[in-house]
Amino acid sequence: MSDLSVNEAVVMRNVCKDFKVLNRHEGLKGSIRDLFSRDYNTVSAVKDVTLTVHKGEIIGYLGPNGAGKSTTIKMMTGVLEPTSGEILVNGKVPYKNRTENCENIGVVFGQRSQLWWSLPLIESFKLLRDLYMVPQKDYEAMIELYRSLVDIDPILHKPVRQMSLGQRTLSDILAAFLHNPPIVFLDEPTIGLDVSMKAKIRELILGLNKEKNTTVILTTHDMGDVDALCKRIVIIDKGTKIYDNDIEHLKNYFGSYRTLKLKLADDTWEEYLIDEKTTDVMDVIMEKQKEKKIKDVKILEISTEEVIKKIYEGSAK
Amino acid sequence: MNPKRLLSITRAGIMESLHFRLGIFVTLFANLIYLVLVYYLWKAIYDSSGTDVVNGMTFSDTMIYLILATALFNFLEMFVVWDMSRSIQSGKIVLDLLKPMRFRKYTFWSYTGNHVVQFVLTFIPTFIVVMIVTRGAIPLGLNLVWFLIATVLALIINYNIEMMVAPICLFTESTWGINIVKETIVLLLSGASIPLAFFPEKARMIVQYLPFRAVYDIPLSILLGKSGSDTWQGLVSLFGLQLIWLVVLTVCGNLFWNCAVKKVTVNGG
Ligand SMILES: Nc1ncnc2c1ncn2[C@@H]1O[C@H](COP(=O)(O)OP(=O)(O)OP(=O)(O)O)[C@@H](O)[C@H]1O
Ligand SMILES: [Mg+2]
Repeated sequence: MSDLSVNEAVVMRNVCKDFKVLNRHEGLKGSIRDLFSRDYNTVSAVKDVTLTVHKGEIIGYLGPNGAGKSTTIKMMTGVLEPTSGEILVNGKVPYKNRTENCENIGVVFGQRSQLWWSLPLIESFKLLRDLYMVPQKDYEAMIELYRSLVDIDPILHKPVRQMSLGQRTLSDILAAFLHNPPIVFLDEPTIGLDVSMKAKIRELILGLNKEKNTTVILTTHDMGDVDALCKRIVIIDKGTKIYDNDIEHLKNYFGSYRTLKLKLADDTWEEYLIDEKTTDVMDVIMEKQKEKKIKDVKILEISTEEVIKKIYEGSAK
Repeated sequence: MNPKRLLSITRAGIMESLHFRLGIFVTLFANLIYLVLVYYLWKAIYDSSGTDVVNGMTFSDTMIYLILATALFNFLEMFVVWDMSRSIQSGKIVLDLLKPMRFRKYTFWSYTGNHVVQFVLTFIPTFIVVMIVTRGAIPLGLNLVWFLIATVLALIINYNIEMMVAPICLFTESTWGINIVKETIVLLLSGASIPLAFFPEKARMIVQYLPFRAVYDIPLSILLGKSGSDTWQGLVSLFGLQLIWLVVLTVCGNLFWNCAVKKVTVNGG
C-alpha cells in the first residue's frame, strides 16, 4: 500500500469476507446427519469493498439488514479477519496485534454493553482508565469534558445493571471515548432509544468529534442520526458498496424528487414521492382533487430517509 | 507488565464477587449439608472396617482432609468454561477480544478477585473452625507458607485446565456435557472427594502423577504435613510435580485457546 494510506484513519482495499456455514437439515434425523456432515455453504457477507476514511470525519455506514455493516466494523476492529483484501486502521493491520491496536480504537455495539454489569459506572471508568493506562490528568479532563456535554452525575454512581437502556448506551459511548482513541466505531448506537435520548447522544458524539477530532464510523438505521451527524455516507447492500459520497451530493442526485403532502377532509396527511422529471406535481394534485377534498398542500424536498429508501429499493431490483 | 493494571482488574473482580454476597452464604450453607453427609458416610465406613486406622488415616484425619478439600474446592472453583461459552453464544466474545489486554490474562486476573473473596470468606473461616474443633491437629509453621505457594500454583493449573476445556466446548458445541465430565474427573482424581490414600494401589500409582492431584491433594498434603512434605526432599518433589504440570498445561491452554480465537476471528464464533 502507498505511504499516504498510513495517514488515513481507515483504508480498506478490495476487502472480502466469507463465512462458512454448515447446511443444517430439518428434523431429528437431519440433526443427527448434521453431526457428520461436511456440507458447507459459503456466505459472502462483504464483497470487494474499497473505502478510505479520513481523520476527523464522521461517516455513516448504511445498508439494509444483513448488508454486511457489522461484519465490516468487526473487520476494522480486528475481531474478524478478512478472507481477502487489505485493511489498515491507524496505519496498522487490525487483526495482527489485535490487543495493542485496541488501545487506539473505541467500540460500541448498540445491542450489548462492555461495562461491568454490577459495578457503578464510575468504577467501570476507573478500570478502563487503568486498563488503557490513561494518565490521571487526562482522565480527569475527559470526565470534565463529559460533564460539560451531558449530565453524567445522576448515572455516575449507578450500577450498570440498574440503568435504563438509554442511560446504558450513553455510558457505553462515554466509555468508548474515555481513552481518547483516534477512531471510534459505533454500531447502531441509537437502537431502541427515545427521541430525546437520541438527540442527547447525537449531541454528545458531535461534541466529542469536535473537541477531540475523533474519527467516527457509525452504522444506523435511523436517518435522523445521519442528518445530525454525517457529512459523508457509504451505503452497502448484499456486501457490495453501492454509494460513497457526500450527503449533499446524494440529495442533489435525487434533487428532482419532491415529497407531496396532502391534507384531507378528515385532517390526515397523505404522502407521495414524485420525480419532477417524469411527473408534474400539479398534475398529481389535480388528479387527487378529483377523487377527494383537499384542505392543504405541502411540497417538500426529499428527506434523507426517502433518498436512502430509494437507493435500497433501486439496488434490490 | 503493569502491576497497577492487574491490581485494578483484581479490585474490580473483588467488587463484583462481593456484589453476589448472598451466593457466598448459600455456598457456606450447602457445604454444611454436604459435610454432614460426608461425616455420616465416612463414619459408617470406619465403623464397618472394625479398625481405627484405614489406609493410614484415622477418622479425624479423613474428616479434616475432606473438610479442607471442600473449602479449597470452593476457593479454587472457576466458571471460565460457563462464562466463555455464554460469551461466545451471545456474541459478547467480540467485546472481550476488544480489550487492550490479552483475554487469558484479563480473565485470570479478574478471577483472582473472586479467589481472594472466597479465600477470606470461605477458606479461612473453615480453617479456623477446624483448628478450634481439632485443638491443633494441623501443624502451624512454615507449612502455611508452602501451602500458600502450592495454592497459587494449583490456581494457575486449574485455570489452564479450564482454558483447555472451554475451547473443546466451543468446538463440540456441548458445554454442559463436557463440563460435567471435567468436573467429575477433577473431583475424583484430585482427591477432593476421596482422599488419594483410599485409592487402590495401582490406581494411586497413576493418579499420583496426573495434574488433577496438583490442584487439591498437593496443597492439602503440604498443609497437613502429609505425603512426605515434612521433609525438604518430599516438598521439592511435590512442588516439582506442580511446576511440571503448570508448564505443560499453560502451553496446552495457550494452544487450545489460540485455536478458539482463530475460530472466532475466521468464522465469527
Ligand atoms: N458469524 C457468522 N456466520 C455466518 N454468517 C454470518 C455471520 N455473521 C454474519 N453473517 C451473515 O453475513 C451477512 C451480513 O451480516 P451483518 O451482521 O454484517 O449485517 P448488518 O449489515 O450488520 O445487518 P443489520 O443491519 O441487521 O445489523 C448476513 O447475511 C449474516 O447472516
Ligand atoms: Mg449489524
